[in-house]
Amino acid sequence: MDEDQSAEETTFVVDEITTVIKEVVESTIGNSSYQHSKINQWMSNIVESSLNQLTKLGKPFKYIVTCIILQKNGAGLHTASSCFWDNTTDGSCTVRWENKTIYCSVSVFGLAI
Amino acid sequence: MSDLAKEKAARLLKKRGSVSSLGSHEVRAKDTFGKTKDSISTVSYMEEPGHHDDIPRPTVQMENTYRLTPTRRFPVITVKDILKDVLTSYLQEEKYEPELCRQMTKTISEVVKARVKDLMIARYKFIVIISIGQIRDLNIRMGSRCLWDETHDNFSSHTFKNSSLFAAATVYGVYFE
Repeated sequence: MDEDQSAEETTFVVDEITTVIKEVVESTIGNSSYQHSKINQWMSNIVESSLNQLTKLGKPFKYIVTCIILQKNGAGLHTASSCFWDNTTDGSCTVRWENKTIYCSVSVFGLAI
Repeated sequence: MSDLAKEKAARLLKKRGSVSSLGSHEVRAKDTFGKTKDSISTVSYMEEPGHHDDIPRPTVQMENTYRLTPTRRFPVITVKDILKDVLTSYLQEEKYEPELCRQMTKTISEVVKARVKDLMIARYKFIVIISIGQIRDLNIRMGSRCLWDETHDNFSSHTFKNSSLFAAATVYGVYFE
């Protein structure tokens, strides 16, 4: 087995994941305004589709996808994450997306097996 | 952008397995113009000082232990108690202020991570996520889904609320096979 090849396959590639997640969010919430009744469905959709797309990448990773959706109302939100892992193979990326009424933040953590 | 900087910093420091990384993302709403401003700050540091290698070392392979399952499972209740403890002690009397909460999220996540590490659960990787927000008559929904091994991996979470702010803390524990 080529060492270079295995190294490429087992590191967390941020750009690829960001693109995937952006597409998922766009297709789910796209141009919608905040609607309380639909929030549950959107949340499940985003998270499930993200996970599906990530598994399709076929990398030997365990994934954790978190999604925060909030109404734009002038309030502030702070999020921090602290991780105890192997810096060479594991990684995380966060995609922030917004429109006029919704603010959405999706974080993906990938841990190598 | 911040993730690239983080990776670069980690590569420069070049120590596997004992590097902690801390990232925080913050959303602040500008009051007058209704615009939002993003600020990202990342901190990476080594736990073991005094290492003077300039030449990047090749990745150290973990030895095969021939062990399929962990000796000790992720202790959900213990970790939940830790979260409860830390959140109440740090946030009981606090009011929401942007500067304060920014520092607070980073501090709390570091503290929780240190305490969970003290539990010394072998071969487990942890991810601690803290969110602190202002209570302002708005709706917020947080959800997460994980792709992992149900039998070994688990998570624990706790939420805290006082009159002006709310905080949500989650710890994920993943077994490193």
